[in-house]
Amino acid sequence: MVVGLSSAVLLFAGVIFLTGSLRAEAARAKVAMPDILVQRLVGGRPRTIGVDEKAKIQLLPSVASVRPRVWGYVFLPALQGNVTVVGVDADRAALADLGGAIGEGRDLAPREKEMVTGRGLARFLGLRVGDELALPSAERNAPSLRLVGTFASSVDLYTADVLLCDDDDARAILGVPPGEATDLAVRVKNPEESRVLARKIADLLPGARVIDREGLERVYELAYGRRAGLVLAASLPALLALFVLAWDRLSGALPEEKREIAILKAVGFSTGDVVRVKILESFLVSLLAVLAGIVAAYAWVFVFGAPGLRAALVGWSVLYPEAPLTPAVDVADVLAIATSIMGPYLLVSVVPAWRAATTDPMDVMRA
Amino acid sequence: MTSHALVRRGRAAAAAILAVALALTGMFLHARAAGARRRAEQPAIDAVARRLPTSDLALSGGSRWLRAPSMEEPTAAFADGPATPDPDPAGAMMAPVDDPGRRPR
Repeated sequence: MVVGLSSAVLLFAGVIFLTGSLRAEAARAKVAMPDILVQRLVGGRPRTIGVDEKAKIQLLPSVASVRPRVWGYVFLPALQGNVTVVGVDADRAALADLGGAIGEGRDLAPREKEMVTGRGLARFLGLRVGDELALPSAERNAPSLRLVGTFASSVDLYTADVLLCDDDDARAILGVPPGEATDLAVRVKNPEESRVLARKIADLLPGARVIDREGLERVYELAYGRRAGLVLAASLPALLALFVLAWDRLSGALPEEKREIAILKAVGFSTGDVVRVKILESFLVSLLAVLAGIVAAYAWVFVFGAPGLRAALVGWSVLYPEAPLTPAVDVADVLAIATSIMGPYLLVSVVPAWRAATTDPMDVMRA
Repeated sequence: MTSHALVRRGRAAAAAILAVALALTGMFLHARAAGARRRAEQPAIDAVARRLPTSDLALSGGSRWLRAPSMEEPTAAFADGPATPDPDPAGAMMAPVDDPGRRPR
């Protein structure tokens, strides 16, 4: 019974630990999230937006900055997958100054036709620092880029499929004409005003899709909540079967257990005392099982990398980040798991305990 | 039940409780150390994040056009409705059938 309960806890806790860890990782990079994002839609599909729209938004009160961004995807046949090409403007801070974000090589030098990529991407393409790569592009003048650095493993979860290069090079590769940008990232002076400002921008630029920070954050919560919910929902029949088995096991007391109860009653225990003792026993068994299951789930996710579960929750991309997951265990989640397993188990143990306790001890002794 | 059997059961229970308590302690120590390591890496994460278009993780996006779900499906809780099967192919135990010639992962 302990093994069965522990297995149920292992599955539930594994899903919740993995989801919590991924949410925490996304939250760690929230500095990347603009307060407001402005995209242009044509026929409901995203198109590039004119950089001159920046001036209109900049005039609105409480706008701190508007940054046109050039980024997009390039499908690499050799990889059978997309690479995220991100343009970097010239006034950026050097990565080398900030905490070892570059694992090997160095940061980009402006206008030198250079690139920095994720470790996984460089390895998959067989690139080493100093090698050149020509990305497929619709533009004839798209330059070859020289790899000057790869990102450190600590940022692999964000950069596994990323290729950073100069804005101009990104434009040439992605086919974004001068004067156009993929989107506009707006920073506001007071984040509380984001929603109001987003509405003003939507009025100012009809046809634009304006997303505030809350909307951006919500999608991530929902994406992983949805996947975790589906995995947990799929596991519910197994949990139900376990409780049916527990009921069956607890109601069919072994002769040794019946004799034990009979002795307790013979020495003066009342029916209520016996029920209390049996419930306490079930509580201790389920508590031990829950703790063992939580420890096993922790080791499964954070020590062994959640084999078998990771694919269901995070996917199976060609460029898969290999960074280990950092524990982000919420005590409320652990308590919820413990309650959802121990509560039903204690409930199914009450009736069999009462039934055993009401049996005449003399009948049991004679049997 | 004999007194020997009771003692054996008691010892087994005590050993199990001790083992779980030790494992829980190990878990908390591991979590603390891993958390401290990750916090030390925060400057690198911030530096990279400032250049990225989104804080979305580079998961399951390489072969699709949903690298940044927060931007590409900004208001979609579900594709069609609550409790419908996940249309997002990342949420599957196994990858779909590959194109001919592509090595499956």
